[in-house]
Amino acid sequence: MNVLPLVLYAAAGLAYAVHFARRQPQVGRLATTLLIFAALTHTFVIGMQTMEVRHVPFANPSRAISTFVWLLALSYLYLEVTTDERAMGVFIMPMLIGLQVIPAVSPGVERMDPVLDSPWFWVHVSSLLFAYASFALAGVLGLTYVVQFKEIKKKHLGYLYTRLPSLQTLDVMNSRAVAVGWLFLTLGVAVGAFWTAQARAAAPDDPNLQAMSLNDPKIFVALLTWGVYSFAVLARRTMGWSGRRAAWLSALGFAIVLLNFLPINYFVTTSHTF
Amino acid sequence: MHLFLLGVSHRTAPVDLRERLDFSSRDLGAAVEALATRSSAAESVVLSTCNRSELYIATGEQERTRDELVAFLADYHQVPRDTFLPHLFTHGGAAAAHHLFRVAAGLDSLVVGEPQILGQVKDAFHAAAERHCTGPLLTKTFDWAFAVGKRVRSETALGEGAVSVSFAAVALARKIFGRLQGRRVLVVGAGEISALTAQHLRSHGVAEIVITNRTAGPAEVLASETGGRAIPWSEMAAAMARADIVVTATGSQRPIITREHAQAATGRRRVDPLFIIDIAVPRDVDPSVSEIEQVFLYNIDDLQSIVQENLARRSAEIARAEAIVAEELVRFAAWQRSRRAIPTVVALRQRFDEIRRAELQRLESRLAALPPDARARIDEVTRLIVEKLLLEPTEQLKALPDEETQAVYTEAVNRLFRLDDGPDEPAASEPDVRATDRSRNDP
Repeated sequence: MNVLPLVLYAAAGLAYAVHFARRQPQVGRLATTLLIFAALTHTFVIGMQTMEVRHVPFANPSRAISTFVWLLALSYLYLEVTTDERAMGVFIMPMLIGLQVIPAVSPGVERMDPVLDSPWFWVHVSSLLFAYASFALAGVLGLTYVVQFKEIKKKHLGYLYTRLPSLQTLDVMNSRAVAVGWLFLTLGVAVGAFWTAQARAAAPDDPNLQAMSLNDPKIFVALLTWGVYSFAVLARRTMGWSGRRAAWLSALGFAIVLLNFLPINYFVTTSHTF
Repeated sequence: MHLFLLGVSHRTAPVDLRERLDFSSRDLGAAVEALATRSSAAESVVLSTCNRSELYIATGEQERTRDELVAFLADYHQVPRDTFLPHLFTHGGAAAAHHLFRVAAGLDSLVVGEPQILGQVKDAFHAAAERHCTGPLLTKTFDWAFAVGKRVRSETALGEGAVSVSFAAVALARKIFGRLQGRRVLVVGAGEISALTAQHLRSHGVAEIVITNRTAGPAEVLASETGGRAIPWSEMAAAMARADIVVTATGSQRPIITREHAQAATGRRRVDPLFIIDIAVPRDVDPSVSEIEQVFLYNIDDLQSIVQENLARRSAEIARAEAIVAEELVRFAAWQRSRRAIPTVVALRQRFDEIRRAELQRLESRLAALPPDARARIDEVTRLIVEKLLLEPTEQLKALPDEETQAVYTEAVNRLFRLDDGPDEPAASEPDVRATDRSRNDP
């Protein structure tokens, strides 16, 4: 079921690439339309899965990735519509397409551990997925900022310079994405910690729950992520860390998020496997 | 009705002559009104910029109109006609439309792709339209030209990239700061290019322009010109710490902004970018200043090489823009031909309808016995038959590929159906044909 959104994302990605290269407004509008259509189809797929298993489908990594892709597509669309700036599409789309391949190829089985059957789970996972989607945007914006910065600094005003938004625009978009992501990350982590404590007391025999601590790489890296983004938010407010430093920080933060989301989630985590 | 164009431009006339024939400095609307009252033309538009004065006309008689336009130019500007006659150019029909499309696209401009011309073409048309000097032909032609201009702008890079040093500096500032509203500018040294740059920055809405000069006089003058504020030379360092954009253009032989100056200025601003535009020769800013992370330093050579690159990129786009113009011209010509077919089509319809009515009239005695709704249906059916018969020939006539073929077809249709007044036939034959028709059709 995740194949159709993948195909539509790929079509939108192609249109964004053509728009970036040729800068024809009608191709840009086509790209946006395709992406909206892809996101709608994806909404439908996720809705169907929700009906099927009676909760939002992210209790296995593959489906969580699908939900993440969906949230990222929506966040990007929001950014595009509010800033009227389509140039970033060409950088976001490869990530959407690449990640969506995973649920399209291995749908996974939605198995709901009874421990997870709680409204806290829903808040925890959806907050974190939304936070990661924001960080993904911020990361791409940050890298774009660095590229644009170098082009202007080196006086190499070529292909990318003419197509990328201004440094200021990139910085403002980056700052917003980081701030929104940080809020949801904080919420997600706080709910996670609170809920673990509750569940532990309720199910003293569950080995997974008892093993949940900072020793679990996934939890550790999640807190590390929180640390990095807290610093990014704080440094911008108090030390004026905007521009290039903020851009690098958000790229670094997102690298950690990706690390946590893919390899650690699949191979390394010890207790946080649901 | 044909399109006709007469004028001078930077391609045909020297600047002093263009100045003498310029309409734009005076009231354009009054000019087009004067032209409309003086000439026999049905529609007129006056397009006038510093590089061209062009009269666009819809007329039935090109030769006569041409003489009238020459007389108008000579009288209106009080210029003897012999001085400008050798510099005039004229175009008729599709060539005139082609010229207008190229003008609107910026292809005929002195600096290819410059952005103002499309607005000037629009102003020229609106000035004429407001005074009811335009009609269907010029309205359609100018609307088409606006669309061509828009297409070229959006589909090619013809108008992209700054092609003067001061615009290049502003374009860079916008790539760094986005919108320039709220930004602070420091101008060091009051020269011509720094004045131009300051004015461009002002028009982009910068919050503050501070000007300093070794001697206070020129700074005061530039400040009043740009709505800025002059400060003493000694306060330069403090002003630099507050500025986002610094423009330097002094005649100093040694750098006046050293690395230490820049470091002191950027220390306080943390990581916000500082854009320094050094347009002085020799340079005012020590090149090592660009090693400071958040400083973007551009000197006159950097800006000039941007301008050169942009010019090269624009000329690489000319072929694509010309192709768009050519494509639109083909469509425009097809529209004009289809318009020229209209008299024939109308005559054909009238002819067929006359026959239909005559036949119904002839059968009147027999139809009279029928109930009214049956008679209405017969009327309706015969009308539909005529319409259906004419549908395809009408479309074909409108879609003929060129004027010659169209003339042949029109002639053939006129003859086959004995139409009264084809587009080029004298109206005098009308009564005769009608008379024959009636004699044949009446019972």
